[in-house]
Amino acid sequence: MLKKYKPFLRAGAIDTMAYRFNILIWAGITVCEVACLVFLWLAVYRSGAGGMDAQIHGFSYREMISYVVLTTIFNFVTFNNDTLWNINTDIKKGTIGNYLIKPISYRGKFSATCLGSLLTMTVMFGLPFYTAALVTLGSLGFLPELSFPAFFAHLGLFLLAGLCAALLNDAISYIFGVLCFYTSSGWGLNSLKVTLISFLSGTLLPLAFFPAGLRELVSWMPFAGMSQNPILILMMKYDLAASLRCVALSAVWIVVLELLAKLLFSHAVRKVTVQGG
Amino acid sequence: MIEVNELTKVFRKPIRGNGLSGMVKTLFSRQYEELRAVDGISFSVPDGEIVGYIGANGAGKSTTIKMMCGILTPSSGSVLIDGAEPYRKRRQVAQRIGVVFGQKTQLWWDIPLIESFKVLKEIYQVSDGDYAERMAFLGEVLDITRFLSQPVRTLSLGERMRADLAASMLHNPRILFLDEPTIGMDVLVKEKIRLAIHALNKTYGTTVVLTTHDMTDIEDLCSRIILLEKGTILYDGPLNRLKNRFGNLKTLTLTVPADVRAETASALSPELAVSREDGRLILRFDADRLPLEQVIQYAFRDLRAMDMKIAEISVGDVVKTILAQQEAADSRADAARNNGGKNDAEKV
Repeated sequence: MLKKYKPFLRAGAIDTMAYRFNILIWAGITVCEVACLVFLWLAVYRSGAGGMDAQIHGFSYREMISYVVLTTIFNFVTFNNDTLWNINTDIKKGTIGNYLIKPISYRGKFSATCLGSLLTMTVMFGLPFYTAALVTLGSLGFLPELSFPAFFAHLGLFLLAGLCAALLNDAISYIFGVLCFYTSSGWGLNSLKVTLISFLSGTLLPLAFFPAGLRELVSWMPFAGMSQNPILILMMKYDLAASLRCVALSAVWIVVLELLAKLLFSHAVRKVTVQGG
Repeated sequence: MIEVNELTKVFRKPIRGNGLSGMVKTLFSRQYEELRAVDGISFSVPDGEIVGYIGANGAGKSTTIKMMCGILTPSSGSVLIDGAEPYRKRRQVAQRIGVVFGQKTQLWWDIPLIESFKVLKEIYQVSDGDYAERMAFLGEVLDITRFLSQPVRTLSLGERMRADLAASMLHNPRILFLDEPTIGMDVLVKEKIRLAIHALNKTYGTTVVLTTHDMTDIEDLCSRIILLEKGTILYDGPLNRLKNRFGNLKTLTLTVPADVRAETASALSPELAVSREDGRLILRFDADRLPLEQVIQYAFRDLRAMDMKIAEISVGDVVKTILAQQEAADSRADAARNNGGKNDAEKV
């Protein structure tokens, strides 16, 4: 049954590289962003009461810089996702009909494309970027002393958490995309999605900086699993048990969101009106 | 087997105000207008039949097709494709049907045509053997082999349409829905498409539902016609019966000497309608009531005809007449309603 989706997996993998120039520019911008964030955090620590040795919400400046660098790479590699826009286009141009008359699930098509694109991004960019970042940060002494079996266990869990993050992001994009059936426009929904995720996933700030109540609430939501948790697993800030819990929580959320997406789609598809003819 | 039962589709359209103030108003309150695109139609199509689904623009043809292939969900009533409702059992039905929308391609724009076919092969799980056989058949009847390696965007409209048809037939669907497959095609391409539909129907026993505005398509392909107007069925039956709906109408165009006048020419029978156009005499009559040979004899002997052309009424003429009658009846009904001082425009 899954064989049907192979062409979409392949298309996701190939199309990601079709806009090579686009990706390179994006990579360049990302590097500048990281540089800004690094200097921002250095300034914060320098001007703080405890100076450079202070811990702010459990983060030393070394950890904070590692966190910022790794999160940025992570977002770049994992969230290469056009699901929302593709659904929006399908609705606006009426091309959704082309998929509704084929014996495949509309959702499955996007999952396969997402996995294909994740594969390409991980091999083409993830591998060199993570290696460079880990080697540099490690040699500067920013990362904890590596003990090899433990590191590989964390690396394995990190990859698993990364896969979960990509699937969570795709599920959320899909749900927001399906909401375009009701609004007929994707702009507002996309901004909402991007803002929600970048705030609640710990991309802007680790969740440790949030007030206690909010932090507790957000830690049960799917967003932390999309950025903060995978990185803290990689940095070995979480022990193995905590890491496993994070991955398990993400897996549960994937199931919940997919069910929600299914319900929403079966309602929304009745609202399809293909214009003209 | 297609069964359509009391099928209705109502679209709700927001009524938008004009200008800036109208726009601001629509932002806060919305009035809706209901459009009954398809209004309680029923029919069934047995396996292996080719049905022409015709009607004016906006009659509801495409809306019906979209409900039959599972894109749109009916407002009420039902469609059954081999016993399954396409909008509920979407994937199951999709495997059994093929669809072509003449106005939109379903092929992947940027990749070579053959790659599109390979993707479809995987999506529909066509076995290697079936794929080879089908490609050979389609390559022959639709003549697509020549441009298989070209990206779809570089194909001409005629080539693209043939490619789209081939794509819809690749998985050997039991039922084929063709929504204006000959739109914008030249006569040769139209011919090729008709032959292909015939060949498919003969070889695989495929049921075909075809919408078109080209009456030649209908006369060449369809044994049965469903005529739709404003969402309701005006006629459903064999092509011949539709043709003879107004009798066995014939038109004789005669070249006659200048002194033969239209008034004297109609002396033969009150059944004969005569007019003079561009120096020619046009005789119209129902051949079932006034035998053709009698009129021909009369034309040569009494009217001293030098040349003659006989034409029978075309399906197009009949459809035109039915639609015109319907429109006249509608406007009479509207006028009667307006005189009663009522305005029935449905507003919610």
